[in-house]
Amino acid sequence: MRISSFASASALALILSSGAFAQEASLDLVEPIADYKIYVSENVAKLVEDTTAFVAAVKAGEVDKAKELFAPTRISYEAIEPIAELFSDLDVAIDSRADDYEKAEADPEFPGFHRIEYGLWEKNSTEGLEPVADKLLADVKELEGRIASLTFPPEKVVGGAAVLMEEVAATKISGEEDRYSHTDLWDFRGNFDGARKIVELVRPLIADKEADFLKTVDANFDTVDTTLAKYKDGDGYVTYDKLTEDDRKVLAAAVNTLAEDLSTLRGKLGLD
Amino acid sequence: MSSPDPQRAGVPSSRLMTVALVGAAVLALAGGGAFYFASQKAARPVEAGAIAVRVGAKSCEPMDLTVPAGRNVFEIENASDRPIEWEILDGVMVVEERENIAPGFKSQLTARLKPGTYDITCGLLSNPRGKLTVTASAHSEAERAKPPLKAFIGPLSEYKVYLALQSGQMSQATQALATAVDSGDLAAARTAYAAARIAYRHVEAVSGRIADIENAIDPIAAYLAGREQDPAFTGFHRIEFGLWHENSAAGLKPVADKLAADAAALRDRLKALKFEPADLAGNASREARRLAEGPIVSGDSLYAGDDLSEFAAAVDGLEKPVSLLLPLAGEASPDTAKAVTDAFAATRAEIGKLGGPGSAPVAYSEVPPDARKALAAAFVALADAVDRINPALGLE
Repeated sequence: MRISSFASASALALILSSGAFAQEASLDLVEPIADYKIYVSENVAKLVEDTTAFVAAVKAGEVDKAKELFAPTRISYEAIEPIAELFSDLDVAIDSRADDYEKAEADPEFPGFHRIEYGLWEKNSTEGLEPVADKLLADVKELEGRIASLTFPPEKVVGGAAVLMEEVAATKISGEEDRYSHTDLWDFRGNFDGARKIVELVRPLIADKEADFLKTVDANFDTVDTTLAKYKDGDGYVTYDKLTEDDRKVLAAAVNTLAEDLSTLRGKLGLD
Repeated sequence: MSSPDPQRAGVPSSRLMTVALVGAAVLALAGGGAFYFASQKAARPVEAGAIAVRVGAKSCEPMDLTVPAGRNVFEIENASDRPIEWEILDGVMVVEERENIAPGFKSQLTARLKPGTYDITCGLLSNPRGKLTVTASAHSEAERAKPPLKAFIGPLSEYKVYLALQSGQMSQATQALATAVDSGDLAAARTAYAAARIAYRHVEAVSGRIADIENAIDPIAAYLAGREQDPAFTGFHRIEFGLWHENSAAGLKPVADKLAADAAALRDRLKALKFEPADLAGNASREARRLAEGPIVSGDSLYAGDDLSEFAAAVDGLEKPVSLLLPLAGEASPDTAKAVTDAFAATRAEIGKLGGPGSAPVAYSEVPPDARKALAAAFVALADAVDRINPALGLE
């Protein structure tokens, strides 16, 4: 007990919360949240660096080089999505899909990574992509600045592990994210790394009380690692269509279980 | 863990159902594994009192919602023919969201909302947004006057990140200083010294309380029996004495190496520190008073004379932890928040007055006692304002 005057307020919060695992949030979370911000800051710095090179290739009309840089550039964004997505305007500008626009790919408003992906793979060209590329670089730089001045909400950080897995389950396992390049496995890698990082950071807080939970989560992360490792190609991964139906099922089951289990993490840490 | 368990009631399972439902739709399309999710569909819990929102092709229904503060459950129905994302937005910031709700499906979202006005998204990005008004409740009013412990986790984390970054910069600058001293590059050494001092001022509200390191890093000659000749005269000011008073880097290498080692140790010690919510304003106020009583009256940088830029850096270092509390203080006591903001502006203005024409810094020896007294008074007034924060947040 750190400051006894908090006890009554927390007790009230506990009563009002419906989470079965609800408990008092502890200041022990300060450390993991601070470390997570440093992790996100490092990743967004890498994103800016990689996007700079990617955008330069697009603007120089180097289609092959731009294709090569597309997936490795995105991986840093995918790892920090729980935070990046909090900025709705930038998330739309950087990572929205054609479905969000009335005229889909033909919509002049369709921006960001997937607009460039569409040009590079479907048209095999960088024609008309110059302003899109400039805007993308400006947007990831803006993201870096906003992250620097953001006080990370603890419930978004802890909840982020589940959010990442839910997104993979809900909108990525189908291969619809990188539908033109089929580089989805790279994105998965970023999503899994980002989710596992969060679990690692809060592990000391729940290691004693939640040993079984952690064992199950670890086992599912390991299943994902083993499955993804089969599709490794150099520093990255083969295209998504090479994934066998059996392995897709293995991944889907692991991801769904992870999403379900990790959604209890907020409650376990008193953040519901 | 592979079998669905509807007994895992409450929030977690409503989140699970979202995943499962959408996952089911997607996998049905993908042509595999749908049975697993379909088996969960039947167990879908119904949350009593959920607020229904129907998203059509062009708008939400209703477009205008009012709910009480606290936990609210929304049930979003996608009545359009495209997959949608539903978000509650506070400006550009996402408060809560539910992704990829398939056409014809419903999805639940739980949000803990503070009083205020929010936007809700309604399908396509080009569609108009709806409005969500959250009205105060007895519970939200109580939390406004006395925020729960978890409201301080974010601010405390952010302050630890700040301390880590600043002490990291200080450590790097002291290493650059040691390198410059070693190669006898006086100009580079002076530049690195100044950079290290700025970073040091940023963390001093906390580092000043770590006595052993403080005594190694920052002793001033006036407090030592043998003044500049005292063997305990070490750290920053010993180097400053060499670089400015003696105009030379000669003989400073062991001192600079020790300073770099101490700076690295300080960085590690700061990382290991644990803070209470009351420390954020408490340390800032204490440091403002310390500056007012000592350094501002007598000057700290007796040889380089750049006290004014160091005091400006100190104000930045005081403002960081305090600014992290201002959103909470602004809710609990707008008067207090305004007094604090005004006091920071007044303190900066007081330093600015002494800054001379343009941006050229004035040597502190040129600043007369009266002006020093006025500056000290501004720091005391700042401390007084900052001292109002903890009581306003129920932290005392």
